[in-house]
Amino acid sequence: MITVENLHKRFGQVVALQGVSLTVDSGEIFGLMGANGAGKTTMIRVLIGATRPTEGRVSVFSLNPMTHARQVRKQIGYMPQAPALYEDLSARANIRFFARAHELDNLEDRVDEVLDFVDLRERQHDAVYGFSGGMKQRVSLACALVHRPKVLLLDEPTAGVDPKLRETFWQHFRQLAAEGVTILVSTHQMDEAFHCNRLAIMRAGQVLVSDTPQKVMERGQTRVKIQQSGATHEATLQNYPTELPALMQYYPQAERIDIQQDTLEDVVLSLIRGVDHD
Amino acid sequence: MIERTFAVMRRVLAQLIRDRRFLVLSVLAPFTVIYLLKVFFESAETPFFDPTSFVAPVGAFLVHFITYVLCAIVLVRERTAHTLTRMFVNGYRQHEIIVGYVLAYTTLATVQSLIVLSELNVLFDLGYSFGTLLSLYVVIWLLAIISIALGILVSNFARNEGQVFPFIPMVIVPNVFVSGIIVPVDRMPEWAQVLGWFTPLYYANEVIQEIILPNQTLLDSLDRFVVLPIYGIAVLILATLTLREMD
Repeated sequence: MITVENLHKRFGQVVALQGVSLTVDSGEIFGLMGANGAGKTTMIRVLIGATRPTEGRVSVFSLNPMTHARQVRKQIGYMPQAPALYEDLSARANIRFFARAHELDNLEDRVDEVLDFVDLRERQHDAVYGFSGGMKQRVSLACALVHRPKVLLLDEPTAGVDPKLRETFWQHFRQLAAEGVTILVSTHQMDEAFHCNRLAIMRAGQVLVSDTPQKVMERGQTRVKIQQSGATHEATLQNYPTELPALMQYYPQAERIDIQQDTLEDVVLSLIRGVDHD
Repeated sequence: MIERTFAVMRRVLAQLIRDRRFLVLSVLAPFTVIYLLKVFFESAETPFFDPTSFVAPVGAFLVHFITYVLCAIVLVRERTAHTLTRMFVNGYRQHEIIVGYVLAYTTLATVQSLIVLSELNVLFDLGYSFGTLLSLYVVIWLLAIISIALGILVSNFARNEGQVFPFIPMVIVPNVFVSGIIVPVDRMPEWAQVLGWFTPLYYANEVIQEIILPNQTLLDSLDRFVVLPIYGIAVLILATLTLREMD
């Protein structure tokens, strides 16, 4: 569905992407994780055909978004990091305006559907400038969904959104993925990693790891503290299930064992900070 | 294509209508400036200076200036708010966005041109025939549309609102000096005369100076009048070609 091969992007002296390669399969929720400046937004902008890559190949539905922008864009929904709405217009007027570009049949019915989906039917006629950050994000999502895209490219959709709404957003994304929509979502919220089928962890324009959350978590470490005869012994294990029994053979009289295993968040954070366990 | 162009026009119009302060200022600004012009010309009138021939061209310049300034910021605002990218991703094309904007702002320019000419006529007691006034209106209105297109063109080259401001005098000041409003063009050096050919105000002034003469109609200055719509179309094409879709 989405293929990126050896992608490079430079803005003058600034290197935004260097040699990024990844694939996103149909119906998958693929997470791009990384700190600010990791290259997530540039990556998404290349995929929507808004930023020309310096080097490398990108395809969406086997089409190049630069040379076949019209065909690609018909099938993608894009939600930028900023709400990108006309604040002086109502939620409905915003959604309707972006829907009109697609010349949809039964446009007003479709606007109703997406307003229901993001639960904004009651506030549909209110001007967006009076909305909270979360409500603006919901309108923005509705604008991205209105033409029933097959691929959703979401740039930090949950940034600045409260935890309850973040959960609602992820429910929406899971529902859309279940309906066959492919979702590429960037985030710097580490706890969102488990919502994705696969992840790419980015740092300084490079993909450090691209795998399932479970496989990424296996890169974590386990710290073991063993107390024996009044002394505390510490050890760091890479593969705790197999290494711990062997370790315990050295401490047959152990009085207490504390085991602290890295969470997925710990692994992702340590990768982003540049502390690789391998 | 037409449906999407009208969608842009309707959306921009809806925004204009909701922005009451902008609307009121857009109407009040020319209204007030024309009154100040009356005070200025009355004070400047001497046996050696008759302001009559300056009134209509200066009115045209005011519409040109105000419309240009109002439009110079519009697409920068779209770019910084990321709505421009969103429009492109949703399938709107350059020419649909540019023409949609021009159509929407033309409604405002139509009202502004009418206010300016009506106020000039009343305050300065111009005494022109209805035909001359109508011809003046057409010229000022066309100049206003060119100004919208010029504003949008300039807006394309700025990355943020702050970058727009240096472009405003860059276009307006040479326009005034070489258009012939202040000093007749034929008294200027040849290079300055050539520079004047590139400004819309030069053609508008040439036509206005002729049609305000007794027994002259728009048809008598058709050769210079037709330059105005051609100029407008050329600026529109340029604005469309320079509206960047990608970095």
